[in-house]
Amino acid sequence: MEEVFMKRDEIIANVVIISFFIFMLMNALKLHEIRRFGEMGSGFWPILTLSTATLLSIILLVSTLIKYLKEKKKASVEATISKEVLFDLKNRRKKFVLSVLLLLIYIMIMPWIGFVLSTLIYVLAFILALEERRKYVLIISPILVTALIVTIFAKFIVIPFPRGVGIFAAFSRLIY
Amino acid sequence: MLEHYITAFSTIFLLQNILAMLMGGLWGIIAGALPGISASMAVVLSIPFTFAMSPITSFTMLVSVYCGSITGGSITAVLFGIPGEPSAVCTVIEGYSLAKQGHAAHALWVFILASAIGGIFSVFVMMAATPLIANFAMRFGPPEYFALTLLGLSVVSGLSGGSVLKGLISCLFGIFLASIGTDGITGVERFTFGTTILLGGISFVTAMVGLLAVSEIFIEAEQPFQEYKGSARYRGLKEEMPRLSEYKENWLTLTKSSIIGTIVGALPGAGATIASFLAYGEAARSSKHPERFGNGAIDGLMATESANNASTGGSMTTLLALGIPGSNTTAMLLGAFMIHGLQPGPLLLNQRPDIIYGIFVAMLLTNIFLVALSVVGVRMFLQLNRLPYSVFSASIMILCAIGAFGLNNSIDDLYVMFGFGLIGYYMRKYGFPIAPAVLGLVLGKLAELSLRRSLLLSLGNPLILVTRPLSAIMLFFAAVSLIYPLIKQPKALKDVEM
Repeated sequence: MEEVFMKRDEIIANVVIISFFIFMLMNALKLHEIRRFGEMGSGFWPILTLSTATLLSIILLVSTLIKYLKEKKKASVEATISKEVLFDLKNRRKKFVLSVLLLLIYIMIMPWIGFVLSTLIYVLAFILALEERRKYVLIISPILVTALIVTIFAKFIVIPFPRGVGIFAAFSRLIY
Repeated sequence: MLEHYITAFSTIFLLQNILAMLMGGLWGIIAGALPGISASMAVVLSIPFTFAMSPITSFTMLVSVYCGSITGGSITAVLFGIPGEPSAVCTVIEGYSLAKQGHAAHALWVFILASAIGGIFSVFVMMAATPLIANFAMRFGPPEYFALTLLGLSVVSGLSGGSVLKGLISCLFGIFLASIGTDGITGVERFTFGTTILLGGISFVTAMVGLLAVSEIFIEAEQPFQEYKGSARYRGLKEEMPRLSEYKENWLTLTKSSIIGTIVGALPGAGATIASFLAYGEAARSSKHPERFGNGAIDGLMATESANNASTGGSMTTLLALGIPGSNTTAMLLGAFMIHGLQPGPLLLNQRPDIIYGIFVAMLLTNIFLVALSVVGVRMFLQLNRLPYSVFSASIMILCAIGAFGLNNSIDDLYVMFGFGLIGYYMRKYGFPIAPAVLGLVLGKLAELSLRRSLLLSLGNPLILVTRPLSAIMLFFAAVSLIYPLIKQPKALKDVEM
């Protein structure tokens, strides 16, 4: 039954891929109009790659659909995903979404609060998201990792990391 | 040529370069040993450290990381039965069998020395072959370059793991990505959608950090909570020193495997994994004791290890002589060259012989030092294994962010890295191999420019691609390598992702 769900997800993914390639292909066709007579122009190469990619993706979608229908027939109607598997799937999804969101927030807040503070917060939040609960790890590691990174990359290699704005900039200047 | 070597030796023996070599080699061994960190990821994570270094120090460090990570990939293979690198799959079969029989130290020594022999052999081949190939490649025009890039792309797509179809789609996606940004010939903006972030094209170092490293962390983050990366259950290397007679008995296997490794490594798209499988297969075929294979065959372990390390010299030859990366890792090195404003290829050998000969010497010394470094590396790896897993993942994510930011000191690059991290995650999840996309991204621009230049030369006649003999031969091989895997895919490679 799990395989049937996997195949269903794969079909959705394939549809997204085909839509992406078709959308880009339409843009490439517009590019093809801008060219001098006798030249390949800027659109030719993308049209060639995108149309081949679209064609191959359609073949992949069809073959996945055939496999899905075959496996769906095989799987019994009563068969359902067990509660444990469902809980595991939900937990996995939660941790993935959390790790994605945390990285996005880290990137977004870095210019405002500076590299040092954002890294400190990010490391703490990320290890919490990975279900780390040992107190000494939670307290020591964000400080240690940030201190090491800042010493090597901001002090030694002198990468101009964002310092933040206002009071945060003043704080960052104290460190690097 | 001799003066170049004298200069290179005197440069490499400067304190900063020796330190870079030792640090790089050690980090490579440890990173290669850690499951989840591939050779290319080890190189990606080292790039931020090279921002403040001179080009020669940077490349000394990066090639040491490259060679070290291939060697390190076999440490976990022998000790825990987990291949740190896909190329260490055969090492698991023989090395782990030996470890289970209580000969872990012996297996480690065998692979460390066999790796060094393979690596040093391939460096000598690289030293001899690179100038010859580069001089030959000076005759290449746009049609030959187009054929060459197509050859590289076709081999990768064919040997990209379980599904050739997915490999091809992944490769075409990479080629498409390479066309984003301002067109180099007409100056037209392509697929930028009015944003300035994409105007200069997609930096492939940023894209690769996202596709390879960030996506890996996302995948790992999903896994159930792990306290540590692994557990140590090994006493020390002093237990069983290898006998010289073992090497005398297997000199032919070592030589054959080193040759196979170097040649396969030099082929665009083929890499350490294929090299080790082929050498292992050949060793099993020609062994006096084929019944030992699978149960701790010393010659099998020597074959796979010398071949996968010999592939490094082969891959570097193609990169330095032709500017074509043969694998993910050499693609990363190509990115590093570009960060320093250098373009590998036939011209670089004439323009900057100090860099090319410096790399030769650095690789030679690295392979010699790796014997000693492996001994230290095994100990350090076992210590690092005790680092809390969550902290380890967080540190790698920060290193990725620094690598992407440090290229142009721009927050925009972090968003690009984030986007590619997500793309890489879904590609892995749905079985699309990453390697073809990366090579498509790296080679796509060169392929397009060469094709358009060829057609400009021939006034639009595509026959120019097949009427020039060299181009025709390479196109023929490209077609064969594209079609062959569709007809017959090696069974052993089906489950191995590049």
